[in-house]
Amino acid sequence: MSTGNLKDIVVNVENLEVTFDEKKIIRNVSFNVRRGEIIGFFGISGAGKTTIIRVLTCQISKKNWTGNVNVTNLSPGSKKNYAKILSNIGYVPQLEELNLYYDLTPLKNVEVFASCYGMKKKEAKNIAMELFSILDIPEDTWNKPLKKMSGGEKKRVSMAIGLIHKPDILFLDEPTTGVDAAKRYDVLSYLKKLNRRLGTTMFLITHDMEAALIVDRAAILRDGKLLEFDSNSNLITSLPNNGLVARFSIENLNEEKINIIKRFPNAPNIKTIRVGNETLEVLMDDFEKNLSKLIQFMMENGLKINAMSRDVAAFRRYFQLRIQEEEEKERLIRIQQDAIEEVEI
Amino acid sequence: MAKSKTNDNWNSGTFFNRLRYSLWRVVRQIKKEFQLLKIDKMNLVIALMMPPAIIMLFAFMSTSASVTIPVKVSVISYDSNTYVNQNNYTETTTWDNYTSKYLDAVKESELLELIEFYDASESEDEYAMETARNEMRDGNIECIIVISVEFTELLSTGYPGIIELIPDSSDAAAIQDKLNAVQDSIKIFVEENDLDPEYVLQEYEEFSIPSKYNFRYNYNMTILLPFMTFGISFVLSILVVVQEKPIPRLLLTPAQKSEILLSKFIVYSIVLALQVFLVLTVAIANGLYIAGSVIDLYLALYMLGFAGVSLGMFISTVSNTKTEANQLFFAFFILIILLSGMFVPIDAMPDYLQTIAYMLPLSHGAPIIKGILSKGKSFIGFDFFWLLGISSVLIILSFLVINRKRYEV
Ligand SMILES: Nc1ncnc2c1ncn2[C@@H]1O[C@H](COP(=O)(O)OP(=O)(O)OP(=O)(O)O)[C@@H](O)[C@H]1O
Ligand SMILES: [Mg+2]
Repeated sequence: MSTGNLKDIVVNVENLEVTFDEKKIIRNVSFNVRRGEIIGFFGISGAGKTTIIRVLTCQISKKNWTGNVNVTNLSPGSKKNYAKILSNIGYVPQLEELNLYYDLTPLKNVEVFASCYGMKKKEAKNIAMELFSILDIPEDTWNKPLKKMSGGEKKRVSMAIGLIHKPDILFLDEPTTGVDAAKRYDVLSYLKKLNRRLGTTMFLITHDMEAALIVDRAAILRDGKLLEFDSNSNLITSLPNNGLVARFSIENLNEEKINIIKRFPNAPNIKTIRVGNETLEVLMDDFEKNLSKLIQFMMENGLKINAMSRDVAAFRRYFQLRIQEEEEKERLIRIQQDAIEEVEI
Repeated sequence: MAKSKTNDNWNSGTFFNRLRYSLWRVVRQIKKEFQLLKIDKMNLVIALMMPPAIIMLFAFMSTSASVTIPVKVSVISYDSNTYVNQNNYTETTTWDNYTSKYLDAVKESELLELIEFYDASESEDEYAMETARNEMRDGNIECIIVISVEFTELLSTGYPGIIELIPDSSDAAAIQDKLNAVQDSIKIFVEENDLDPEYVLQEYEEFSIPSKYNFRYNYNMTILLPFMTFGISFVLSILVVVQEKPIPRLLLTPAQKSEILLSKFIVYSIVLALQVFLVLTVAIANGLYIAGSVIDLYLALYMLGFAGVSLGMFISTVSNTKTEANQLFFAFFILIILLSGMFVPIDAMPDYLQTIAYMLPLSHGAPIIKGILSKGKSFIGFDFFWLLGISSVLIILSFLVINRKRYEV
């Protein structure tokens, strides 16, 4: 997958900037996606995930964006490419109740959408049955009104519809939001399964850090900027000491106590992240060498450690740290700017 | 899985290829519309709720004071104003000219409006009756008053004079008003000339329905047929676009907004064809008298229903929610019914209301249908082209609106 040549690039974005009402929503975003990859778009609300996907899926007029964008070698900047791009991609929207015909059966739903791609009823039905069985949609529900299905089943029907025309790329908007915790992993593993069987490139917009488990590369967005775009493991190994963490349970944990830990002299690059009321995770360089010194330092400073364990950071931690770091950077820049302004006055 | 063949040459290159796929998609969308129609009984429920709304309107309308508008009449006089004596020679008398006195009474009556006077006494105007009847066919007058040959003579010699009345009976409910209005003129005439009040008003009905047909039923049909055809096709189409939630997702396929809208127009035009067929079948089975041809009647009603579909579709495309569509429908429907001439004759309205009334579709319904049912006219005429014009404008607007509308998944 890492040796993709130019022909294998299905999405190419260079210097994308999106402006709405003179406000820049996306700033200078560039990335490539190779055929067959699963890409996760992570970012807190308002980061611009949906906006980027909407540019790729011909939903934002060229008036509002600049840059070089190609989807299956066609630019969504030109209206005459719309129909062709749209027939090369599939889209699974977030909410089923707004995007499926609830009174029609799953097979009729498939027929309606497939017909928009010019597919014959029989062809659509055959592909649908194949997809339905991959997705374990019970056969006795295929011919009953969709509204009688469970939420998870509807989601899977929606996924099958997104794939009915065998698109090169499938976009999924928050596929696990609104699905209960137990079923969430199901949805993700079905996506992985489809990706393996069909080789479809997938874009997941998500708040769900679990999704990082199935993605080949994760894009982290903040405030319209693409902070990272790399594989889960690469991101984690970029952390101090390959992402080893020490998890402490500290009595009466508060900001003051966290600041003490941040002043640990042996590891200036120390990173802390509070993950619970009394739980703190610590990352630092030379983890093995420094760990015992850190514990000693904490005790000397009067912190009471109730428990301790060690682990490797998950994507969730990476994401939190990366956003924290960015916020810190911005805070510093703001302080500098304020200082400059004061000097000027 | 092999890559689907269908989308390899999808939308590629030539205009005809694209057109072919576009038509294909429209055909498939039409199939979908029929499936949705089969399932969605909501629209039909709304159609059933229409009659109560009409009853409410009736109650509302009857509280407002009635306006009297003068009946438009033409008077034809055959009064010779001469006297034939027993010796068989004619001699002009110096009698009062009672015809001109009666004309004065007509002018004086507030219930009548004299449009034309034809003096047919000396064969001066031998085509007077034919001219007047044509005027009546065109709706310029509603009543012809004929003064008999010996009118002056009879009155002068102390006999009752004879006035003959020919009302336009295609509007049966208004006949009594016409009789009353003419009686008023006679009352004035008798009082002012101090005559013996024994006058026979002879009545001959032009464009009346044959006696074997039910008069009330036929009269009501001239109003109900256009009203129901327009109303139901209108109400059935107001939610068609706005309630189809997955449209944004359809638009993330190569399907176009215009294809989706076009398919809806086609489907609802087909439904309308069936609806008009059923309405007419039932109406005829119950004894509808049609002076003209059934085909004319069918086409006229279809045109009227199509104006309803166009207006409904327009409302459905401009609305963002079902509630909005329902409210717009209600507002339009009340306006259209109030100004249709069904309750208050359009000519009795203030000028600015008349202008609005004549722009609305239903005002053109009763005239066309009446023309075909009682006068044997063709469906082609000003009213038909006006309806065609309104519909075309609404269709064009609907396509413009939907193309500008933003749909987001
Ligand atoms: N059509 C628009 N006009 C103006 N501003 C817009 C428009 N669409 C999006 N924005 C703004 O762009 C920013 C990014 O929105 P976007 O929907 O891409 O965020 P997101 O990352 O998908 O967030 P969420 O996770 O909440 O879905 C937001 O601040 C939003 O207000
Ligand atoms: Mg979003």
